[in-house]
Amino acid sequence: MKRPWLILVGGLLLAALAYGASYLTGSTCCRNLVEEKNPELSWLKSEFHLSDAEFARIEALHTDYTTACAERCRRIDAKNAELRALLSQTNGVTPAVETALRDAAQLRAECQRAMLEHFYEVSRSMPPDQGKRYFDWVVGRTLGSEHEAMTHGRVAAHEHPGK
Amino acid sequence: MKSEIPNDDPGRLHQLLQEWQVESALPPRFSEQVWRRIDRPDADSIATNPLAALRRSLAQWIVRPSFAFSYAAVLLAAGLFAGFWHAHAASQRVSQTLSARYVQMVDPYQMPRH
Repeated sequence: MKRPWLILVGGLLLAALAYGASYLTGSTCCRNLVEEKNPELSWLKSEFHLSDAEFARIEALHTDYTTACAERCRRIDAKNAELRALLSQTNGVTPAVETALRDAAQLRAECQRAMLEHFYEVSRSMPPDQGKRYFDWVVGRTLGSEHEAMTHGRVAAHEHPGK
Repeated sequence: MKSEIPNDDPGRLHQLLQEWQVESALPPRFSEQVWRRIDRPDADSIATNPLAALRRSLAQWIVRPSFAFSYAAVLLAAGLFAGFWHAHAASQRVSQTLSARYVQMVDPYQMPRH
């Protein structure tokens, strides 16, 4: 009566071995990505099939952009703090509050323009078809998604009641 | 039935057994049947217990080479498929996480600090 059990258990062991081997083989690339120094940029390289030279250029652009972005963020934070201080001293939209709001909006517009310029530069550093794919994807996830997030994707949110 | 030999006299019983001669002939194929019974010690229980009969027929079925190879092949294929499918799902998850983190890195309005 031992042989049937040997066959049954042996089959299950074989299945477990096959599962482990195929899982390890199939997940090699994502494990390698996660172990990279900069996994997000390594993902970009893998997703948009970049050569080493293209990747090096994009990595340099990314470093320059994030450094400048941090400085812009600091200025936006300072302007927001100034606006909060003004709002705490008044109970209406005074000319000073209006000016601070305009300045904050100007800084946010600058920030978005710099972001868009970065996307163009990155997309130009890629092969044309991949560059277009990158640009469409990243704009859809950044500039294109903000309004959608506010309305939860419902156009009806803008429709006037009674229409 | 009253015994002719007292229970407390094993020596006498032993002597009688030694003297006992079997004169009748064995039935045909007696030896073969004895070996068959030895090979199948649970034959009697199979005749009366349907569960034992099922177990026995399953065991006989499993040890057939055709079943054993099919069973191994199906489990091998299932293991390979499950492993690849799980790895694919894990890769998709990692890809989605990294793409979201890239977007957070380049879009200040999606950074956690904002």
